[in-house]
Amino acid sequence: MLLLLLLALPFAGSVAAAMLPVRARRVQPWLAAGVALAALGVLAFLQSRVAAGDAVRFEQAWMPAYHLAFSLRLDRFAGMFALLVTGIGALVVLYARYYMPEDDPLGRFFALFLAFMGAMLGVVLSGNLIQLVFFWELTSLFSFLLIGYRHGSVAARDGARMALVVTSAGGLCLFAGVIVLGRIVGSYDLDQVLAAGDRIRAHALYLPALVLILLGAFTKSAQFPFHFWLPQAMVAPTPVSAYLHSAAMVKLGVFLMARLWPAMAGTDAWIWIVGLAGLSSLLFGAYAAIFQNDLKGLLAYSTISHLGLITLLLGLNSPLATVAAIFHTLNHATFKASLFMAAGIIDHETGTRDMRRLGGLRHAMPVTATLAIVAAAAMAGVPLFNGFLSKEMFFAESLKVQGPSRMLDRALPYIATVWGVFSVAYSLRLIHTVFFGPRSNALPRTPHEPPYWMRFPAELLALVCLVVGVLPALTIGPVLAGSVGALLGSETPPYSLSVWHGFSWPLAMSTIAMAGGVVLYVLLGPYLARGLGTTPLLPPIDARRIFDHALLLVSWRWARGLDALLGTRRLQPQLRWLLLAALIAAALPLWRLGLEPGPLPWTAVDPAFAILWLIGAACALGAATLAKFHRLAALLLAGGAGLVTCLTFVWLCAPDLALTQLLVEIVTTVLLLLGLRWLPKRVSTGRTAAQFRAALPRRLRDLAVAIAAGAGMAAISYAVMTRPLPDNAISRFFLAHALPEGGGANVVNVIIVDFRAFDTLGEITVLGVVAIAVYSLLRRFRPARESLGPPSARRGQTDAAAAEDVLVPATIMRAMFPVCAVFAAYLLYRGHNLPGGGFAAGLVLAVGVILQYMADGTQATEKRIRIRPLNWIGAGLIVAVATGAGSWYFAHPFLTSHTAHLTLPWIGEIALPSAFLFDLGVFLLVVGATGLILIALAHQSSRRRWS
Amino acid sequence: MSEGLRHLVVVPVVLPLACGAIMLLIDERRHAAKSAMGLASIALIACAALALIANANVTSMYALGDWRPPFGIVLVADRLALMMVLLSAVIAFAAVRFSIARWQRAGPRFHSLVQFLLAGLNGAFLTGDLFNLFVFFELLLAASYGLALHGSGRVRVRESLHYIVINLTASLFFLVGVSLLYGVTGTLNMADMAQRIPGVPGADRVLVEVGAAILAIAFLVKAGMWPLGFWLPSTYAASSAPAAALFSILSKVGIYAVLRLWLLLFDAGTGATLLLAGGIATIAYGTSAMLASQELARTAGASLLISSGTLLAAMGTGIPEAIGPALYYLAVSTLGAAAFFLLVELVERVRQPGANLLAVSAEVFAGPAPDADGEDSTEAKMPAMAAILAVAFLGCALLVAGLPPMPAFIGKFALFTALLAPAAVPVAGWILLALITVSGLASIMAMARAGMRIFWGSRLRSQRIRLVEIAPVAGLMAVSLGLTVAAGPVMSYMQQAEREVHSPRGYVEKVLSRP
Amino acid sequence: MELIVSLGIGALAGCGVWLLLRPRTFQVIIGLSLLSYAVNLFIFIMGWVRGGIAPVVKPGAVDPSVFADPLPQSLVLTAIVISFATTALLLVVLLAARGLTGTDHVDGREPGE
Repeated sequence: MLLLLLLALPFAGSVAAAMLPVRARRVQPWLAAGVALAALGVLAFLQSRVAAGDAVRFEQAWMPAYHLAFSLRLDRFAGMFALLVTGIGALVVLYARYYMPEDDPLGRFFALFLAFMGAMLGVVLSGNLIQLVFFWELTSLFSFLLIGYRHGSVAARDGARMALVVTSAGGLCLFAGVIVLGRIVGSYDLDQVLAAGDRIRAHALYLPALVLILLGAFTKSAQFPFHFWLPQAMVAPTPVSAYLHSAAMVKLGVFLMARLWPAMAGTDAWIWIVGLAGLSSLLFGAYAAIFQNDLKGLLAYSTISHLGLITLLLGLNSPLATVAAIFHTLNHATFKASLFMAAGIIDHETGTRDMRRLGGLRHAMPVTATLAIVAAAAMAGVPLFNGFLSKEMFFAESLKVQGPSRMLDRALPYIATVWGVFSVAYSLRLIHTVFFGPRSNALPRTPHEPPYWMRFPAELLALVCLVVGVLPALTIGPVLAGSVGALLGSETPPYSLSVWHGFSWPLAMSTIAMAGGVVLYVLLGPYLARGLGTTPLLPPIDARRIFDHALLLVSWRWARGLDALLGTRRLQPQLRWLLLAALIAAALPLWRLGLEPGPLPWTAVDPAFAILWLIGAACALGAATLAKFHRLAALLLAGGAGLVTCLTFVWLCAPDLALTQLLVEIVTTVLLLLGLRWLPKRVSTGRTAAQFRAALPRRLRDLAVAIAAGAGMAAISYAVMTRPLPDNAISRFFLAHALPEGGGANVVNVIIVDFRAFDTLGEITVLGVVAIAVYSLLRRFRPARESLGPPSARRGQTDAAAAEDVLVPATIMRAMFPVCAVFAAYLLYRGHNLPGGGFAAGLVLAVGVILQYMADGTQATEKRIRIRPLNWIGAGLIVAVATGAGSWYFAHPFLTSHTAHLTLPWIGEIALPSAFLFDLGVFLLVVGATGLILIALAHQSSRRRWS
Repeated sequence: MSEGLRHLVVVPVVLPLACGAIMLLIDERRHAAKSAMGLASIALIACAALALIANANVTSMYALGDWRPPFGIVLVADRLALMMVLLSAVIAFAAVRFSIARWQRAGPRFHSLVQFLLAGLNGAFLTGDLFNLFVFFELLLAASYGLALHGSGRVRVRESLHYIVINLTASLFFLVGVSLLYGVTGTLNMADMAQRIPGVPGADRVLVEVGAAILAIAFLVKAGMWPLGFWLPSTYAASSAPAAALFSILSKVGIYAVLRLWLLLFDAGTGATLLLAGGIATIAYGTSAMLASQELARTAGASLLISSGTLLAAMGTGIPEAIGPALYYLAVSTLGAAAFFLLVELVERVRQPGANLLAVSAEVFAGPAPDADGEDSTEAKMPAMAAILAVAFLGCALLVAGLPPMPAFIGKFALFTALLAPAAVPVAGWILLALITVSGLASIMAMARAGMRIFWGSRLRSQRIRLVEIAPVAGLMAVSLGLTVAAGPVMSYMQQAEREVHSPRGYVEKVLSRP
Repeated sequence: MELIVSLGIGALAGCGVWLLLRPRTFQVIIGLSLLSYAVNLFIFIMGWVRGGIAPVVKPGAVDPSVFADPLPQSLVLTAIVISFATTALLLVVLLAARGLTGTDHVDGREPGE
């Protein structure tokens, strides 16, 4: 439970910090420090409870289906890292309170800072690997936000982005790797994974898992060749660097490698990959660090180098080396954090971090100078400082390593010594140029000691370096022993933490390193004095530029290319794709199984029918050819095709279809006619031969698609028509039950309003919805300018004269309205037993209405009959739904039909099936919808007169 | 099941129909009343779905008009359908809540359209009848046409034209497929059809497959599978924010239909390879579109493509265990996209006009200009509104990119585990794992680029953003986080749904058993 | 007979598809209506019964085999209604598009631009 508290504290603090008002700048640091210290306290208490080699656990079921629980697990090893995270975190908070500029409300800063601390704790405390990845990604996220804290400057943004891309790419690799590892082990639980070491190493998937996981670790710990983001990340505010880039984030990779060491180390693959990465980072970092001019840049490269050292030690496959690695992790955290703070202080007091401008600061700030010297000495591995001890261990290990390659084994001691030389050199340069030499007077600000509490954290850490360096066994001993024991368990090697091991090779190597370092620095003096900021002997590669360009290339240029290649925004290609896809999808089975006509013989051909369809086909073809330039003709021809369809329905005994199709034809044609005048005039300009040739391939392709589609449809319909209807088809049931149970003789209509009334309900709603859409679109409609003005036939004609023209038809049309109404009523009534029904009736009435509009124009009509189509639609829908819901009253399912027998005056008793009410609803809606669409279009022509 | 509960199944369809109809009678300007009504009906739908889920151990069947199947139309509420209903209700609630601020006034009858859209969606999810499915598809499409045009304007109308033409063609395919299947099997009831297809004589088998294939094309157009989905990002980006949020569920209807019919009518083997290939292509295209998109809304559309592709590919691998995680991922990614669409509108409102192109050109031509680390900390003080927006954007980015703590991460984890579950992992599994990882990285980069451009790069205009508008986004975020915390139960529900889908026998028996 | 009908369907469908792929909005809408004729017929002939009479039943026992299959007919009715609605919508949308973009090209801009 306490573990949960430990993890929850920072996140809670982060939320609180974000919530605090902007004025509360003074409160923020106290809050943060309080949280950090509280966490530290909890941690200390827990640590005291953990026996060596044991762990405290907290488990909460999360996804049992995937054997995944939210589990926290604190052993001494995790404890040590948690100690770094919280302890140094607390110090950095104190430091930041003075470092951050006065006008910064700090709310965002501490919120992010604490959230990051929480994420770190989450990683080190995770009891299963998925959860570890979970928090791992969070650290990437928050570090991105912290590095980009001063997002005003381009450098900050680029640095942040680079860190994010590199580390989150690594994180994703780690994720994949963990999944693979989980597949190997059969569980993500840390204990089980650690227990399954042999199985893992033997498994076929070991190498992929290893590589993926190590990619995660290397990117996080800035190991060569993924090191380049770290120097760029130095644009972060110094407290952030002091925390993330010394003690916290960059240590995660190391943590992961050490954590999984028992499970995955011990193979040649491990020694090659980890060892080489460590080795190259170690040398490269140390060498490059010498030539930096920016204080933080130097520290960044030295961090890369020291992390390389730790990685290398972990990569040596020897327990003792691992001890050294853990030990050095601690030491590096202390001295590097204090050095970063010192750098920050100098930056803060002098206004620059450029070593070419700094100098002789020991006079101005003696205390800072002292603590910087102490920390730098530790970094260089001078005796009596903590860095010395771990360095000695490294040297000792380098002497007795037995890797797969003898050559490397032999080379390692020399490489180690060279590294020592380099580190001494850059430490020396740091101290000498900044604090000694001539006092520089070209500084932005006049330097002086910072406030005491700003110095304090750095002093404390420097003190630690010294004490640990002098009395290792007493101070750091227990912590180290505990964590090593927790990690290595039974194979914990004997080791001694003492300053003096007598005269030995390591000591000799250290001495050489010291001397060599001094000599090297002296030799390089003139070169450095020129302050070029370049690294000799290395190709001048600006990793950042390369990265940025690569990023731009991949994530922008290539992406756009691919997008343009794979996609299109034009309609015709999309439709072509669609039709092709359908053709192919249909062709595949045909090609596989083949299609032969059914068994039934042809029925006798009726010549009239044949002629009818000759006309039909001719109409279709005509419409196809004329639609571009002669719209009216095309429209009429298409109508002709429709008419043929209609007649076919009659021929084949489908009166309802024929009737409906006919009415729809009429209304659609009226609509299109109303619409035609808004389209631009197109006159056939005989296309030149060149144009024709240019268009030819496209047209041929389309022609092919069209013919294929037509042929396919024809073939399939022929095949179906020559097959008998499945004799257990459900329609048999409808024929049998329409009259007795549906109460109607016209089976089609009974199906529509009873058996499948739910379809009809949906269908009429579609009609209503479309009407609404049309209405709302046309309210905003602005016709194209040239299509305004009276149609050409009417030019120069007075409205009176115009009225004259249409006088006779107008009278007829007026007379038509009652006829239509009666006819509609008749259709509606008989629908249930004979062809007809609500839909047809509705259309008829709508036609009647539109005839009125044609006869005497919009205003006049609307003066006479005021129709609110929307209400008709709504009412119709409600009637239909209500009819359906009525059956609930009789405890029947929705839309169950009844026949109410009610007696009306004069008429006497009549049977009123609920289906009739439903049909009435249909009728109302259809009138409303069709009317709405037609009227809305008709209004367009009168727009001119209104506006 | 109790009498009242029996009728609950039809409520998600009938209630919005009635609401939409009544709203038509209410005067157009009374937005408050309508929005209240709309929210109420959506809430009720959600309640109905929850009540049904509560005893979802029995799949409930509802015979409309009391005509026993296979003759009448039936609604079938199993776990899969109910989950979709609930999801669409959640998103619709957020969208309507959002529209109250301004969009409901952008055109007439907005709320009715939303209700009809919901009716169509729920009908499509619940129906057990193939032609009825077509009708409800048309209903939701018609409503979506209306919503896509909502607010009118040049770009909207142009994109809607594409959208409408393409979907009309797809609907014609739908009709051809359905009628062909009827012509061969003689039934429209899905369960009955599933029963009859094995008995189809060999010579007619080909017709069945042709019909199914054409039907599948119609669905895949909705799902936005490459190369049928080019319209999706453009149309969604062009339409108004609440409409786009609603559309994010629309693309999932296609997925749903494929999943349902494919596993019901055929064994998982047929056509799996095509689904897999199509899914992979879709992921690739979606990824490139996401990186290449200049305006934020298009990015959101691309994220939808990626999720569609992932789902199709997951189905295509033919690994049964992959369906459950896929469903979880479906819910999550849909929520994410919806929230993103809503947020985009707010973000675009506070940006300087044309900020996009400037940023892009700066990035492309000038290249990253190194400059001294400016010590000015003025931008440390973000305006509160911008800060809130930034946090919301961060949430969306995490959700879209599948990073923790958002549930997309869990979904991917479960999916990967399922992909690697079999003793011999199929090559498809490895490919998919790699591809999803890469597309995840790509979306991280795209989102980071967009976020930095908006919140770090440029000064934001101080525009008033009302709490009403942030609230729905926050709500969707909260729901997503809830899905992370409750990953256990939710995932087990999804796995039960997966088992149901994989055992069509149970479905068939449930529908056709004589009561 | 069957051959004629199927050829007719094929002709309608082919012309429809051809028009659908044309660049002008009016061509597209005509194409769609031709296509929908074809599809309606296609649905209809799914219930092809030789010499079936109109499905209007008389009281008393009915022999199903003498009637044309009513179900496809009702499906066609629904299809007709829906295609009518959508055609109307498409018409209005293309008018609006023409009004707003100034051209009747499906992409809202002339190819040259």
